[in-house]
Amino acid sequence: MKTLPIEELRELLAAVSRHGDWHLLEIETDLQQTAFLLNEAIEKLSASFMTVYAQLMEQQAAVQLLVEAGKLQPEEMQQLQVFQDNIGQEVNKVVTGMQFQDMTNQLLQRTINRVHGLKDLLHELSSHQFPMAADDEHEEIRRFIMQLNQNFDQGSQHLTGNLRKSVNQQDLASGDIDLF
Amino acid sequence: MAKTILTVDDSGSLRQMVAFSLKAAGYDVVQAVDGQDGLNKAKEKTVDLVLTDQNMPVMDGLTLITNLRTLASYQRVPILMLTTESSDEMKAKGKAAGANGWLVKPFDPKRLIEVVQKVIGA
Repeated sequence: MKTLPIEELRELLAAVSRHGDWHLLEIETDLQQTAFLLNEAIEKLSASFMTVYAQLMEQQAAVQLLVEAGKLQPEEMQQLQVFQDNIGQEVNKVVTGMQFQDMTNQLLQRTINRVHGLKDLLHELSSHQFPMAADDEHEEIRRFIMQLNQNFDQGSQHLTGNLRKSVNQQDLASGDIDLF
Repeated sequence: MAKTILTVDDSGSLRQMVAFSLKAAGYDVVQAVDGQDGLNKAKEKTVDLVLTDQNMPVMDGLTLITNLRTLASYQRVPILMLTTESSDEMKAKGKAAGANGWLVKPFDPKRLIEVVQKVIGA
């Protein structure tokens, strides 16, 4: 039984590889841009947060001077304490929330590494070393496809093995604590 | 005199949040960017507590703990892991390496300070 002309098959595989590679390159570029933007965002947020907190501390010190000088009424002092407690709670929430970048960055890096691995797998399509002649028959081409598939499978397993997931958090609720 | 805590994490934003929380509670903080940097800084000055991430370039947290536990000055210093890892398997590895506790990220500053105070006091 005659089958696909071998040169046509080679070209088909190379085209699949080229298209896949182009799309994966686009994905990789977008992911790196996302990681960069998140990194810059967290740096600016952290810097602003530190500045706001420092100003709050100075404001609190100024209020303390007023308290010590006896210039505030008891109800005003009570109100100030409420403000202070609320600020403390919100600061804790901000510190917990701002840890998003550590987790998202790990997930993005894992995805980028998977994209690299996929590019290597696709490269296999266009750079395979299996001997194929123009007069190869159906059986030879079938063996070639099977070998290619086997290589893909091995590469895929190797890739998965190197991409252990270290972030399973689904939200920013604070994590468990175990003391041994 | 304030107690000193060595925090080890490759994430700059995380290091900043940990240091902020610990300093606000009155602790001195030494920061390291990975396990090897942490080991070097631990050797320079014996600290009261080590708080380390797990997944870092150059040297990971478990290797850092294993190395620290070989040093005479770190036989009894408490070491806590602060990591995104939450599996029982990883926790068991941490315990076997010599960790005294495991905190899963993200951390709540109030709870972090409560744990630190429980382990080394105010």
